[in-house]
Amino acid sequence: MTDDALATTNSSTQHETLHIRHIVKQYDNADKPVLNDVSFDVPAGQVFVILGPSGSGKSTLLRTIAGLEPIQGGDITIGDEVLRTSGKKKDIEKANAANTSNTSGSKAAKGDTNPVKVGMVFQSYDLFPNKTVLGNIMLAPVLVQKRKKDEVKAEAIKLLERVGLADRQDAWPHELSGGQRQRVAICRALIEHPQIMLFDEVTAALDPEMVREVLDVIVELADSGQTMLIVTHEMAFARAVADHIILLEDGGIVEESDDAEQFFTHPQSERAQQFLNTFTYSRERQ
Amino acid sequence: MDWSFIAHNAHYFVNAGYMTVFISFFGIVFSIVLGIVCAAIEAANIPIVKQIVRIYIELSRNTPLLVQLYFLYFGLPKLGVSWSAETCAIVGLTFLGGSYMAEALRGGFEAVPQVQRESAQVLGFSPSQMLMHVTVPQALSTAIPGVVANIIFLVKESSVVSAIALADVMYVTKDLMGQTYNTYESLTLLIVTYLIILLPISIIGTVLERRSDYARR
Repeated sequence: MTDDALATTNSSTQHETLHIRHIVKQYDNADKPVLNDVSFDVPAGQVFVILGPSGSGKSTLLRTIAGLEPIQGGDITIGDEVLRTSGKKKDIEKANAANTSNTSGSKAAKGDTNPVKVGMVFQSYDLFPNKTVLGNIMLAPVLVQKRKKDEVKAEAIKLLERVGLADRQDAWPHELSGGQRQRVAICRALIEHPQIMLFDEVTAALDPEMVREVLDVIVELADSGQTMLIVTHEMAFARAVADHIILLEDGGIVEESDDAEQFFTHPQSERAQQFLNTFTYSRERQ
Repeated sequence: MDWSFIAHNAHYFVNAGYMTVFISFFGIVFSIVLGIVCAAIEAANIPIVKQIVRIYIELSRNTPLLVQLYFLYFGLPKLGVSWSAETCAIVGLTFLGGSYMAEALRGGFEAVPQVQRESAQVLGFSPSQMLMHVTVPQALSTAIPGVVANIIFLVKESSVVSAIALADVMYVTKDLMGQTYNTYESLTLLIVTYLIILLPISIIGTVLERRSDYARR
């Protein structure tokens, strides 16, 4: 089955735990931080779903992991390797160089030549409009990872088959529906074999009928063992896919649970209860 | 209208038309290159270099081409730099056009959504790879109408080079009018020549605009 396509994709890089340690994110002109001392570990192969009301900092959290937002405190590492830190860029390099020499034989020393640790899919359609579907997917592995075009193309087509879009490989982004674009965006991130995939409300801008086709792809990805951090407002999906749930509010973790089922049926904190209630709607009819 | 006059003198306009096209072509090509460089510097927000670009753009847009040409043709030799009239004309047009192109392209750069740069960044693109494969192609697409307008503007502006004795179509027209007093016919020939040069550019520009409009095509 096509399951193999992704399975081999994932096994080609060694996976390690993502450590988020004491992250602080504060904008210069803000009086309180967007993220205030957030810490958690994401073991390889786990699916973490981050929930929370808007403005809770969940998108910002993903963006700091992706390196799109500088952080003012804490650090983010994969295994021993520092990915982001509040310190200077030089410090990251120094720390990583030290790791390489200390832990001889470990991932940083050999085998791991992939410069791309993190893949991300955004809420708004982010495909490059000046490239075809195949062009979008092939650009980064060829340019950034210096891989052979033939090999990249073969894998790109495999990935497109996987998400049910093999027949659209020569289409332009504007010819695709929103759901199709998001599926291509997922392929474009996956082809770099990132250790961690980040999904930032990837279905929030979609028509309801298109949400499912995208969520199905993410669920299959979860089954193939891809480590993921997902920000979503689709509660049924979160419940189905999460190995671990984090509820974020005002830049801090309010509740977390290793048992998605339990979180949704018996949330521990009052805040979690309150939050989950906003997704159900009922009234007594007269 | 003296048709025989037109028939007898049209060939002057062919040669002069080549001169206009020659000067304009190189002026435009270099303008676009200079414009891309300036707009990229502004978009990349490189300090100091960015201020220099800004000064150049203001200097270029707020001084007449005629003055720029006089400076190059009559002024520079006093400083020991003597360029041919052709070189002065091309450099002059480039100096003028570069800023106009930069401004048109800047609009294009600003229209590229932030998420495009962010996706490229997360995919691991270096800043130059991002420019080459993501930002510049998309900026160009948006900027094409402005760039085409500038190209037409520069061809028309090239009429000023007659002031430094380059035998372009304007120069030939003034010559003919002075020698023959067939003002009306000479000017008709001049207008027709400009139309022959510019209409195809205008049409190609419209086609290009449609072709490169990724978003709405």
